Amino acid sequence: MIDVQELTKQYAGRTAVNNISFQVEPGEIVGFLGPNGAGKSTTMRILSGYMPATSGRAIVAGFDVFHQSIQVRQSVGYMPENAPLYTDMRVKEYLRFRAELKGLSGMTMRRRIGEVMELTGVTEMRKRLIGNLSKGYRQRVALADALVHKPKLLILDEPTNGLDPVQIRHVRDLLRNLKSKHTVLLSTHILNEVEQTCDRVVMIHQGRIRANDTPANLTRQLRSTTLLHLEIDGVGSLVEKLSAITAVRKATEEGLIVHPWRRFTLRVEPDNDVREEVMELALKQKWRIREMHRQLPTLEDVFVELSMNAGTPTDIPTHVL
Amino acid sequence: MRIFWILLKKELHSFFVSPVAYVVLALVMILNGFAFRAALSVLESAPSEGSIVSWTFHAMWFWLSYFFVFPLLTMRLFAEEKKMGTLETLFTAPVRAWQVVGSKYLAAVIVYCVLWLPSLFNFKFANWISAGQVELPEGAMAGAYLILVVMGMFNLAIGCFASSLTSNQIVAAIISFTLSLMHFLLGIFIMVVGRKISDTIVDVVNYFAATEHIRIFTAGLIDSRPIIYYLSMSLLFLSFTHHVVEFRRWRP
Repeated sequence: MIDVQELTKQYAGRTAVNNISFQVEPGEIVGFLGPNGAGKSTTMRILSGYMPATSGRAIVAGFDVFHQSIQVRQSVGYMPENAPLYTDMRVKEYLRFRAELKGLSGMTMRRRIGEVMELTGVTEMRKRLIGNLSKGYRQRVALADALVHKPKLLILDEPTNGLDPVQIRHVRDLLRNLKSKHTVLLSTHILNEVEQTCDRVVMIHQGRIRANDTPANLTRQLRSTTLLHLEIDGVGSLVEKLSAITAVRKATEEGLIVHPWRRFTLRVEPDNDVREEVMELALKQKWRIREMHRQLPTLEDVFVELSMNAGTPTDIPTHVL
Repeated sequence: MRIFWILLKKELHSFFVSPVAYVVLALVMILNGFAFRAALSVLESAPSEGSIVSWTFHAMWFWLSYFFVFPLLTMRLFAEEKKMGTLETLFTAPVRAWQVVGSKYLAAVIVYCVLWLPSLFNFKFANWISAGQVELPEGAMAGAYLILVVMGMFNLAIGCFASSLTSNQIVAAIISFTLSLMHFLLGIFIMVVGRKISDTIVDVVNYFAATEHIRIFTAGLIDSRPIIYYLSMSLLFLSFTHHVVEFRRWRP
């Protein structure tokens, strides 16, 4: 559906996208992940036919984005960042205008507008001026616009940006339902979203692709330690004894919670599980344990690690749902 | 062509749902009223060679409206879309740049023509109330409105171009105002220094002096040269606009 070959985009001396190549197969939901200013929006603008690349080639739905721009735009539903809309139009009026532009007419158009309004949950807002809508509803109107002509490919630039948690869940469900009919490329910097929605993740940082794999594989490949959280009631130097377990890299005491419970964190070598050993140790030492919890590395860790390795860690998102 | 009409409909819609069109219409009507009154008082005081039509379009009031109409009508066309980011939404739909430029321009021209309709009523009413004493020479009427439309088309094309250059409506208005004013002042300049420079220069400048065009057309003399001049200049500025809008796509 998308075939990007060695795409580069330069703005007045600054390279926004640097020689990237990736493919998206029909029916996939691909997450485009990266910190702010990584080149996500630029790539998406190129793919949607809005601006040309400096060099390289991109084929979308079988058409070249530069030479066959009109055909590309017909088969792509694009939702720009921040959902720019005409604020002086009413919701239904706007969708009608957009549907007409994209070649729909008559009864088919009216039915389709009804469908997408229902799908995105803006039906009850259809007579409201877009200028008076909240950000969440504007995002949904923009999404309805992207969907209205049943495009083969949806390109969504931060579709959940500015939505509340309930709305985010709604959009996520919507995307999953669309999977059967559309291919989706969506950008975000919210990792949780990608983990739950996407079949594949393309991580981009400073204009280069850092990783391109399934969310599960990415986290598995991550060579960082797993964490084990413990709450123990015991006497003596617990840290020392816990550190003695072979696979434990480091044990730290986080402090007293409620007397006599103390909290510990163990950093464990990758691909090791020390829970049973900790249990045996506790039995031997007559400690009481009331919590033991293993924390696996998340996509966020992968993301932070990749960004850190790449140089200056700018704008690492701290916001995870 | 279908896309063109859809876009035109939308542009006209945004003119008439925003207060811009009504404010401009009200101002033009007021100024036209003053211009008309000025023409009547000329005719009252002494017999005159000029008709009511030519005196109306020679009034200072008419030229006042002439300047602010174009920036007001055109400043938002592209600048607003750029600022709001809707240009991105627009150009990721299957539309071509000429369709966008053409529809925005034509919408402005249509609104501009509507602005002059009330002035037609002034003339007709004066003619009717005076039982034909206030004469309305057919040639002068046709000439006056013809030159108004083609001059308008030229200045609106300048305004369109100015709006495509920036994302700030005020800047667009100032550019458009300045260009229109420079074009107008050329004719005034000749009127002021006319006797001190050679006749050839006077003749050349008179070819594109707006005041001169108004003078001959409101006298009922329809000359094809200014018409061709204004129409071709409109086309030139529209093609500039088209290039500016398309530049986004070609920028390396």
